[in-house]
Amino acid sequence: MNTLHIVRQSAFATNDFTQCIQVLNAADLIVFTDDGCYNLTHQSIKQVSEQVKLMVITEHVNARAIDIVGTKATAITMNDLVALTFQTDRVITWQ
Amino acid sequence: MTQTQSPKSLALLNSKAPFASCAGKDALDIALVFASFEQPTTLFFQGDGVYQLIQGQNGELISVKDYLKTFSAFEFYDIEEIYVCQASLIERGLSSDFHIDNVQVLNQQEFANKLATHNTILRF
Repeated sequence: MNTLHIVRQSAFATNDFTQCIQVLNAADLIVFTDDGCYNLTHQSIKQVSEQVKLMVITEHVNARAIDIVGTKATAITMNDLVALTFQTDRVITWQ
Repeated sequence: MTQTQSPKSLALLNSKAPFASCAGKDALDIALVFASFEQPTTLFFQGDGVYQLIQGQNGELISVKDYLKTFSAFEFYDIEEIYVCQASLIERGLSSDFHIDNVQVLNQQEFANKLATHNTILRF
């Protein structure tokens, strides 16, 4: 039983990502979209990346010139994201 | 008509304070609609969402329709599961003194586990 967390806000601006971290379970997945991509550079990301699998939408990180080399995040497409919503038991959108 | 599966459970995760946005009111409307159709509905309060539950608020002083009063109808609608994040209360210096009964304060792990028992989660 796992949850897909879609994080759309930067932790530098809102508490959404912090609240997401509070309800994480081990088998969960996080996908960063939109300004959520900035969380890859937030100090909280190190610990989170050891807990769960991280993904980002390719266009969304590239548009923001965020380098995912050296992070534990995998770049995915929008189609992959849609597929993930079917593979997981539930989805929470943090926006 | 036979129903082989139990209905899907809905969780409404409230994360906004009550008066500055309509997020809380929207979540309440959805809760009451689902409950009217006897769909199992659970309310969660996290972050600034916990401010929706504290005693003595009066939105009318700032010309906002006070939807919080409707929370007392939850029992009538069979919405019996209402959970609050303990860490969010502590962070804001709030006590567990709520304007409705039947509210359960959960620690971080219990809150996360309870949330993960629902089929659908909508966050406001």
